[in-house]
Amino acid sequence: MSWLIRAALVAALLHITPAVVLVKRPDAVQALLPGAEAYFAREVHLSGADAHRLHEVVDWSPEDGVLAFYTGRSGSTTVGALEFVRVDTPHGPIEVAVGFKPDGRVRGVIVTKATVEMKPWVLEAVTGGLTDQYRDLKSGDTPAGAAALAGRTGNLAVYIAGEVDKGVTRALAAYGAFYNHVRT
Amino acid sequence: MLYDLRRADARIKWLVTCLLATFGLSYIFGALMVSLYAGFTPARVAATYAGPEMSMPMPPETTMVVNRPMSMTDFAKPEVHAVDTNLLIQDTHVHVPMYGLIAGALGVVVLGLSVPRAWAFGLITLLFAAPWLDFAGMWLTKFVSPRFAILTLLGGWAMGAGYLVVTALAIYQMWRSPKGAEP
Repeated sequence: MSWLIRAALVAALLHITPAVVLVKRPDAVQALLPGAEAYFAREVHLSGADAHRLHEVVDWSPEDGVLAFYTGRSGSTTVGALEFVRVDTPHGPIEVAVGFKPDGRVRGVIVTKATVEMKPWVLEAVTGGLTDQYRDLKSGDTPAGAAALAGRTGNLAVYIAGEVDKGVTRALAAYGAFYNHVRT
Repeated sequence: MLYDLRRADARIKWLVTCLLATFGLSYIFGALMVSLYAGFTPARVAATYAGPEMSMPMPPETTMVVNRPMSMTDFAKPEVHAVDTNLLIQDTHVHVPMYGLIAGALGVVVLGLSVPRAWAFGLITLLFAAPWLDFAGMWLTKFVSPRFAILTLLGGWAMGAGYLVVTALAIYQMWRSPKGAEP
């Protein structure tokens, strides 16, 4: 009987809990592109060489080799751009929305999705001021959300901050290399 | 056969009833979960399990950009929940043993029913074949053709049908049939 109990325990530990939406995408878009009246998707289909270059820098490749940026405009003025970046963790995926100002600095970061298991860790990290740590970062900077939370929040909130750091790192690298530097 | 649910002690009948009710509850939430993450049509199941691995798009020779306007409703569109190979391995590892235990428990209930032997063989086969079909469909959809999504749907419906038939027969024979109602 003990092997059955052990098997059930292992199964429970390995089972990824369902995904939950923490912030709906339209709400994240409105928060990160304030005042925008029109939106445009800018899909960058990476060549094999560029995909390899990005992978070398941040150890990540976007799904299907396509980077999707969303630009917001108010009249003829560009309000900014944003990306949704997925980070796969052993506890399931999280999704991070990273918004950029027209000068290329980070306007804000919102964790839009997590799993049932990770939701309380994310909420603790956000309440602890995680997303404030990313404001005004620019391409080439290193996000340090986890380091900022260490000692101020629980270990699991620090862990999740490290995963959000990865998402922001990927967004910064992708934005810096491909948002304005590819001809349409 | 000595094991006959119609003549079983009331405590055994109650145990079987509670077991079936618990399975029923879990099946209801299982169906809700399927509707949330995979859907009940072959197209949605194929989109969940076949995923981009089936199409394997080649990267362009040079990086290219496509611009298109978006509306706020485009941002609100639900995304397809995709199950990749790693997740399918994990799902199979977690679910198949549990489905086996559920089929085994329902099979034990079948053994206590007063039905012809051929019916009992058929029901037991159905209880075990349904999850096999379910997961065979997922793997074949991923690695052979999205058309095999229909197998997953058949497996899911067969699981539900097997449960309903066993439950209806058991409840009727234990509590409603003249012999079953005897103290």
